Amino acid sequence: MSAHAEATRLLPRPLLVTITVLLCAMVLVPLSYIVLASLNSDVGVAAGEFWPSSFGLGSYSKIWTTADLSTGIVNSLIVCGCTAVFSALLGTTTAYVLVRYRFRGRLTILRGLVGLQSIPGTLMLLPVFVLFSSAGNYLGLTVVGTRWGLFVAYLTFALPFSTWVMVTYLRGLPRELEEAARTEGASTLVILRRIIFPLSLPAIVVAAIFAFLLGWNDVLFASVLTRPETQTAAVALQIFGSSQEGGAVPVYSQMMAAALVCAAPVVILYLIFQRYLVGGLTAGGVK
Amino acid sequence: MTTLLRAPQKAAPKEPRRRGATERQRPLWLLTPGGLLMVVVILIPLVLALWISLIDLDQYTLRRWVEAPFIGLANYAESLDSGLLHSVWISVSFAVLATAATVPIGIAAAVVTQNAYRGRGVVRAVFLIPYVLPSFVVASVWRTMLQPDGIVNRILGTDGTLWLNGPKSYWTLVLVEIWAAWPFIYLMALAGLQSVDHEVHEASAVDGAGWWPKLTRVILPYLRGPVLLACLLATLNHINNFTLPFVLFGAPAPDDVNVMPMLVYVTSFQSLRFGLSAAMAVVSLILVLIPLFVYLRAVRLDVHDEGVRR
Repeated sequence: MSAHAEATRLLPRPLLVTITVLLCAMVLVPLSYIVLASLNSDVGVAAGEFWPSSFGLGSYSKIWTTADLSTGIVNSLIVCGCTAVFSALLGTTTAYVLVRYRFRGRLTILRGLVGLQSIPGTLMLLPVFVLFSSAGNYLGLTVVGTRWGLFVAYLTFALPFSTWVMVTYLRGLPRELEEAARTEGASTLVILRRIIFPLSLPAIVVAAIFAFLLGWNDVLFASVLTRPETQTAAVALQIFGSSQEGGAVPVYSQMMAAALVCAAPVVILYLIFQRYLVGGLTAGGVK
Repeated sequence: MTTLLRAPQKAAPKEPRRRGATERQRPLWLLTPGGLLMVVVILIPLVLALWISLIDLDQYTLRRWVEAPFIGLANYAESLDSGLLHSVWISVSFAVLATAATVPIGIAAAVVTQNAYRGRGVVRAVFLIPYVLPSFVVASVWRTMLQPDGIVNRILGTDGTLWLNGPKSYWTLVLVEIWAAWPFIYLMALAGLQSVDHEVHEASAVDGAGWWPKLTRVILPYLRGPVLLACLLATLNHINNFTLPFVLFGAPAPDDVNVMPMLVYVTSFQSLRFGLSAAMAVVSLILVLIPLFVYLRAVRLDVHDEGVRR
């Protein structure tokens, strides 16, 4: 072990190993059961097997008929994908103005961006629901139950966070390039499109992914603002889970498979963008 | 990107204001699309929530909610008799317990992954798993494992024990939340550990400090700022967590886990007492505003100079 590593070492080796093993076990024991159960059969899981007596992907093929998972996943992908794109673009524009220009109320907006993220969703859901349903009563627009309604709700709740991620990033971006472009006579929109967007692409990706996850992980709004045809993956899984009680044969293996399928897009996104996302997590302090 | 979460006492003196040539024509109109959305979907509903909490709105008056009768603070008075205080207590104790339990776990995890060793990357990835999994997935799988005939009872040999109902459900909620939430503290503590200069390590090595005094007297004080902020945010997230109790226990939730978000949700979308539910939601907002206010004071918002990234 080098002198550097020796000096920065914080714990004696046995203790370090013990803690690491304990923490990994805490995560991996339940996780391995979930994966093993999803590869087992429903009968095997019901018999209480930890290690499957026969491995198979049967549960993964059955869930598509047992639960309404494919509708949910398609709806989630559409709604959350749109949310991601629009909130990242709008967030970048808003953040650019907030970072580069000083004006009255700027600090209030910045404070609001952080504060809005902590407002309980349950407080917002009812008035949003009332507003959306009065759009039906008074304007003849159907909003509740459509993907549009969900999209607008997610977009707005994602926007403060996306903007905040972009504010922290754009602060670190030197102004010289923009100023040079401006003296050449470029308009703000051109500067945004040609300079700011390309330069801040990594942060835009982070903002977009967080917006996507906000929608993907939401149950609260989706459970009230959707119909069976427009329900999201989260709602489909929740309904699948709660429909198990009182049923004749529990389908725990399919339950685990469905849960893992719903987690897959999120895990894949993290694996690809892990480095950026962890930085974004600590910056925004929000999941 | 970790500059924002610094302890307030470390705040640098305010930068002098710059007024460049670019500031004359400020394209503030670029704020309108985002601002408009936030006004329509956040500010108006906030005001509307306050208004609804003062009127007698239920499923009969919903269609013409503008004409629903104004009843002042009657909803607030009624909410006191409808289990509000019980739910406030459950929510607060649950949030504080979960935060208190995740802090030592998170710090320990950060300390053991601070030094490079072979396989550290894998360990770090494992530590992030509970955090990466969506809340509704975590809740669904634990709900399955905690069924009376589920794997948890088989392993513990406690056949038929009810984890999702009755008095044990409270501890189920706390434990599953701890399982899912400790990596957040870990990430924040790790960011704090990485800001400790190498000189500090060397100085304490030269002094021949043992590992425990070094850890508690030298290293942990560096973590105070980031971890305190993490605690605030984590507590806020616990109080606001709707997904976990909703998916774990279903609605209406058992009395022992009837946290604020569940109470508000059930009152409006199952009992259809919208006015009453809005009053409860406003109370939960006040509950959240206390830690939020502390947080907003602690975060540096006014950094405005380029190159401040540290």
